[in-house]
Amino acid sequence: VSAGPTPGPAVVADAEAALGRRVLDRLRAAARDRRVRLAAAGLILFLLALLGTGWDFATVAPGADAAATVKPATREALRLAAESERLQAALRRRVPRGPWIVIDQTHNRLRLMHGDDTVLEAPCSAGSGMILKEASGGRRVWVFDTPRGRFEVLSKAENPVWKKPDWAFVEEGEPIPKDPGERMEYGSLGEYALYFGNGYMIHGTLYERLLGRPVSHGCIRLGKEPLREVYRAAPLGTPVYIY
Amino acid sequence: MRRLLLVALAIATAASPAAGGQGTAAASSGSGATTAALAREVAQLRLERDLASGKGFYLRLDAGRQRLALMLQGVTLDDYATAKLEWGVPEVVFVDRRPPADWDASPISRGRLEPERDRDRLEVVAPPLVAADAKPAEGASPSPPPIPKSAEESYSVPSPYRVVFAEGVSLEVRAKGHGGRNRSLFRRLLDAASLRAADLASALRLGATERVRLRVTLEADDAAALYRSLPPDVGLIVVGLKPR
Repeated sequence: VSAGPTPGPAVVADAEAALGRRVLDRLRAAARDRRVRLAAAGLILFLLALLGTGWDFATVAPGADAAATVKPATREALRLAAESERLQAALRRRVPRGPWIVIDQTHNRLRLMHGDDTVLEAPCSAGSGMILKEASGGRRVWVFDTPRGRFEVLSKAENPVWKKPDWAFVEEGEPIPKDPGERMEYGSLGEYALYFGNGYMIHGTLYERLLGRPVSHGCIRLGKEPLREVYRAAPLGTPVYIY
Repeated sequence: MRRLLLVALAIATAASPAAGGQGTAAASSGSGATTAALAREVAQLRLERDLASGKGFYLRLDAGRQRLALMLQGVTLDDYATAKLEWGVPEVVFVDRRPPADWDASPISRGRLEPERDRDRLEVVAPPLVAADAKPAEGASPSPPPIPKSAEESYSVPSPYRVVFAEGVSLEVRAKGHGGRNRSLFRRLLDAASLRAADLASALRLGATERVRLRVTLEADDAAALYRSLPPDVGLIVVGLKPR
């Protein structure tokens, strides 16, 4: 096999120049074509329209509200300023002055507040969100969620006794007792319990190593020391906010 | 000289009512603006009072203080500092579609996450009944119940994500420096292109009725915490936002 003669650099440059000229000639010819010009103009307009379509954002600089910085002068402005003050005061009054409890059930944290101050923050265990289905022919289903919303401490107990509900027996595969006395269990709720309605309470746990994880059946489990502090600080009627 | 003095006096007399008129106009326009700002503030406070009187959770975006708070009945449950706050309106061929001036003094409700958290609940079938007097087999021990995943394990957090409200307002939450360094150039370009396409579609109202978008940039941990813990059907109140 014999290779042909290799073209010299001058020949290559000439070929490139010729190709460039041909491309330019074609482009010029196309530019002279009315349809191509129209298409190019349409494309440019479309791209411009695209550029100006979307969302127009403005950055908000921090600072005081305009209304708060200017003194009201007219009668109407004075009336509005007074109403604004009254409404702001009403909103401020919504924050409890005494102790209150906040529970973040997603991150399993409990905060004990007093007014605007955080008195205590501790890991807790909220509802697991698990679904329990009755075995062999049973149709009952339980969902172990912690409710969200505002509650109040309705009652408090030292060394609380747990009156086991049906699901506690079903979960263990045990028959549901007919004698209410057989439902009573001692010690599993820790030293204290604060009831906040519908069978839910803040109580202690035998499984402190699981605090910080969502493992309860809907109640709020708390460690021994924080529970003692919450029990002492929160009288009946203490608001409990769960989110 | 006297003639000159008279001319000067005449000019001064002619000019003074005009100057006085201008001053009065400025003062009245200033007091008008103050009254309008106060009326807006009062409308927002009334709205906030109504939200605080209800049983639902709501977000409070304070533009002046640059804070975003999760609230219930007037009580702050969680509070996040915003690193950046922007608000936007849809724009079609450089013409923006402004919302009504009092959009932030009207109720904003039923906020839902987009993309949604997909909660994967563990489902357990109870063991079959054991007779009360039956003894467990030797060596047998009850299997411990499964431990559900924590929120951090359950939900990966997209950035940005949005809380979309029923009234055409949405809150876009971005995590500060949202994984830019951890993602490839191709991934970032792809994300930017998909965001641009979504923005175009919403601006042109192709299946969307979004009128106002508030964009907040939070610390990555705060953005994740809000995504994981946001209750369903939240409301929104925006305060201290100056009109565009």
